[in-house]
Amino acid sequence: MSDGAEREVLDCIGALCPTPIIQLSKAMKSLESGTKLILRADDPATKSDLFAWSRLTGNQVSVIDETSFEIVKA
Amino acid sequence: MVTTGAFDGERPLHPAGEQVLLAAFERGWADPNGLGGASAQARHLLNAAREEIAGHLGVSGSEIEFWGEPALISPIALQGAPNFHSGKFIVGQTERQEILALAHDSPSSVQLNVNHTGLLDRDRLIEEIESNSTIAIQAANGETGVRQPLPDFSSIVGAMNAHLHLDFTASGPLIPLPTYWSTADFPAKSWDGPSGIGIMLINKNQRWAYPFSRATNRRSPESYSLPLVLAAAAALTGWLKDANQESDRIRNLISMMRQVISRTIPEVDIAGSGNKEESLPHILSISALNISGERLVNALAKEGFAVASGSACVASAIEPSHVLQAMGILTHGNLRISLMHGVLESDVKRFLALLPGIITQLRSEDGA
Repeated sequence: MSDGAEREVLDCIGALCPTPIIQLSKAMKSLESGTKLILRADDPATKSDLFAWSRLTGNQVSVIDETSFEIVKA
Repeated sequence: MVTTGAFDGERPLHPAGEQVLLAAFERGWADPNGLGGASAQARHLLNAAREEIAGHLGVSGSEIEFWGEPALISPIALQGAPNFHSGKFIVGQTERQEILALAHDSPSSVQLNVNHTGLLDRDRLIEEIESNSTIAIQAANGETGVRQPLPDFSSIVGAMNAHLHLDFTASGPLIPLPTYWSTADFPAKSWDGPSGIGIMLINKNQRWAYPFSRATNRRSPESYSLPLVLAAAAALTGWLKDANQESDRIRNLISMMRQVISRTIPEVDIAGSGNKEESLPHILSISALNISGERLVNALAKEGFAVASGSACVASAIEPSHVLQAMGILTHGNLRISLMHGVLESDVKRFLALLPGIITQLRSEDGA
């Protein structure tokens, strides 16, 4: 990460849709606003669902690579 | 016939078609191309059915070809377009998979994006179209009910005199043919006709050739069943009569569902704008965050509701719905609701009363 801060990582590699999104929603509950988290997921639906999740929840998503995403809690 | 709680789009054969079908199979119709009195009678009935259907679709009987394998109509209609193998093949992102597969194999294909409400990118079409292009457009999408502005696209393609193929699989004759078109696909199932029969329309003013034997005058395999054609014609007449009475009522029920679901269920995506000009009257697609579509469908089934889902975990597909993905809508927790003629308002209200509780319960069980 560019700011060098340590991120919590949620590893959902191998989990099928919608498990990564459900796990992410659960993880977000315990985070403070502005906290960053890395989601790792390789299910083909996750990437597009993450952007819909972001639109519906207000949390921010950016793509690091095909299976890694940075999430910022709203 | 009204089937309580059946919101999954699996509609029975229209009673008018059923009656004709049973009588036709009982008589064992002769080959309409043969000689003799029985064949002459079969020919007469076939022509009458052709004219009946043509009248309803607003075309001439000579523009109709019957097909015994409806799923092949669009792919073959496209491959028979005069420049399919030499010009650009332009398709929408939300087309059926077999059409997207054709585009994938084409040396010069262009995919038009859709916006968040499912409408095709008009500017890109104008930018890409050439006089030797072949364009495939769904009148409406079967997953979301989103309806494309056919008159506008028809004018754009007509101005270039390119080949315009229209797919009416989801809408049937609810959407009229626009002024300019080249070929069209109408499966009889789209008007509650029998499975195993469909209609390819070939505009008499357009060039088209059967791709498997261009040297002959043949335009189809001619392998259809005559009883199915007769049943399709009768079903169409009966279905249109019902549609005149039912379409507005069903549109109002779908509109009520949109309003109630968006008010009572948090974090839910509803596909399309819902505007009359941009949607079919009877289809609604919703996706609820943090829920498996399979669990949602099963929970509703326990309450007596048959509902379809486009989520990958339900649709026997590894890939998520390309239609929902193209629109940027959640692909999980999806329900595809299709209301048929005769649907009871009380059923719709019971569904709306149960759905928020079911979704809350499922989310809570997953801790989301």
